[in-house]
Amino acid sequence: MAEPRAVCEAGTVIEARDVRVARGGRTIVDVPAFALSEGETHVLLGPNGAGKSTLLRVLNGLEEGGGTIVFRGEKVASGAGRLRLRRATAAVFQHPYLLAASVLDNVAGGLRLRGTGRDAARERAVAALDLLGVSHLAQRTPARLSGGEAQRVSLARALAVDPVILFLDEPMASLDPPTRRTLLADLAGIFATCATAVVWVTHDREEAHAVADTVSFMAEGRVIQSGTAAEVLNRPATAAVADFLGVESWIEGRVERADDALRFVGDSGAAFVCGEAPEGPAIACVHPEDVVLFRQAPAAGSTSLRNVLPGRVTGVRERGRLRLVDVDCTGLPLVALVTQAACDELDLAPGRSLHAAFKATAVQVLPRASHLGVAGPEA
Amino acid sequence: MQEIFQGIGDAFRLLFSGDWDIWQIVLRSLFVSGIALAVALALGVPFGTLLALTGFPGRRFLVTLINTGMGVPPVVVGLLVFMLLARSGPLGSLHLLYSMKAMIIAQILIALPIVAGLTLAALQQLDEGYRLQILALGAGRLQYFRLLLREVRVPLMAAVMAAFGGIISEVGAVMMVGGNLEGQTQVLTTGIVQETRMGQFSAAIALAVILMLLAFTTNYAMTIVQQKGARRG
Repeated sequence: MAEPRAVCEAGTVIEARDVRVARGGRTIVDVPAFALSEGETHVLLGPNGAGKSTLLRVLNGLEEGGGTIVFRGEKVASGAGRLRLRRATAAVFQHPYLLAASVLDNVAGGLRLRGTGRDAARERAVAALDLLGVSHLAQRTPARLSGGEAQRVSLARALAVDPVILFLDEPMASLDPPTRRTLLADLAGIFATCATAVVWVTHDREEAHAVADTVSFMAEGRVIQSGTAAEVLNRPATAAVADFLGVESWIEGRVERADDALRFVGDSGAAFVCGEAPEGPAIACVHPEDVVLFRQAPAAGSTSLRNVLPGRVTGVRERGRLRLVDVDCTGLPLVALVTQAACDELDLAPGRSLHAAFKATAVQVLPRASHLGVAGPEA
Repeated sequence: MQEIFQGIGDAFRLLFSGDWDIWQIVLRSLFVSGIALAVALALGVPFGTLLALTGFPGRRFLVTLINTGMGVPPVVVGLLVFMLLARSGPLGSLHLLYSMKAMIIAQILIALPIVAGLTLAALQQLDEGYRLQILALGAGRLQYFRLLLREVRVPLMAAVMAAFGGIISEVGAVMMVGGNLEGQTQVLTTGIVQETRMGQFSAAIALAVILMLLAFTTNYAMTIVQQKGARRG
């Protein structure tokens, strides 16, 4: 994950209030407030149809969104205002949409529209192509580029205008995994060194992990949770966010205080120690990465894991080269993520008895009422 | 059979002997249809663009009108223009009937729906993402239209071909409003009709050969442009 930069001290570059977009009586976006600081990389994360792309288009001046947009202290009110906003920013979409011209002239295109002379524009286009590592493609025509090359050219075209904000709408969604990984690493490097603020729409949490300073999680047109990347990605505030982020273990029960420690008691009666949380009905989630499996119970004091529970394997699922192991710990359903090697070594198969262990701080407690509901970022 | 070969032979002799009457007809045809095409493009491309990219009340009606216009037989257009320009018609005082201007007007009316309709179709077939991308690139209104039309230049070229092919080979409308006056309003198609009626087969064949060469050359030139455009993607 990218180290969060000093986002609070930088000035706000764009601010949106009361953005509401409805189509055919259905609310697409309903975001009361959104702000982006200089140099911040903000990821809009969420499932398809959450309204992320629509919010991006409103922020980019491509779509009317009601409410107010304030760009660098100036209210964007008219068509001319939106054109000024678009000329100070740039956007890259899922498809590269390169135009009928050479790669070089495509990348110079944004500058040409802003009145830059041909030679000066081409010079900056070469620099932008260089930044994305594709200057050798300058004389090609777009039809002769691979998908990854075309998207790099599209990104170069956007960066060539030196945008105050770069809007990226699922820029990796059409690329194959290896192409995606290298481009993601390159982009993370570029964003770390340039002053451009970025709004990055994605439904891929790995992308969010790789580039985000801040994350807004969206669902059904609303921002469900917003905060630093670490907060949102590691401490989901609601079940909807946790579900999307891949939390596998859902345990219904209640938080109780006993002997000065907070315990989570599952509906089955089995219990474990959890972190700070309000008492009462709740849902506990544990990331599969945080669950460690042992054949024998580790000797007391030999591990820092507060919770060690006896259990039985109920299933093993493949996830690429890793295995998701379902464990039933006297009524508590836990899921552990282990390597193929560990799976073989522990001889994991349904029916096998073992011990599952996890830290008290690995337990995320969510209010039970919010299971399908919407909670504010402060929840 | 003998007559046909004789006619073809005479036709080529006529063409290469520098018969001024024949070449005048060719130039007149090119002039009338060229002007009509230019005007139809100047009006039809912006009109088709407007219909494709904006929504306004009555848009659906105009689109239907254009689609109907694309299928109206030229001879009906000829009748309409004839009635407008006839001495007793609403524009009779302009005294345009049986002139090249009248023929140009008729051909504009034939070509206009073709150009507007094909422009509309070309722009509507373009992925909507291009529209957003061009706007996001920082295009102002005119730059936006210019870049979009450049993206659809290949189907636009088809519109130009279809319109030119339609009016250069059209006979009914120009006959009605031009009158086929020898030396004044006679064009290739009406010339062929007249020469055939008068039994002058060699002259008719000569004109027909030119008409076909003309159609082939313009289509060939436009196809080259089109293919070049298609390769550039």
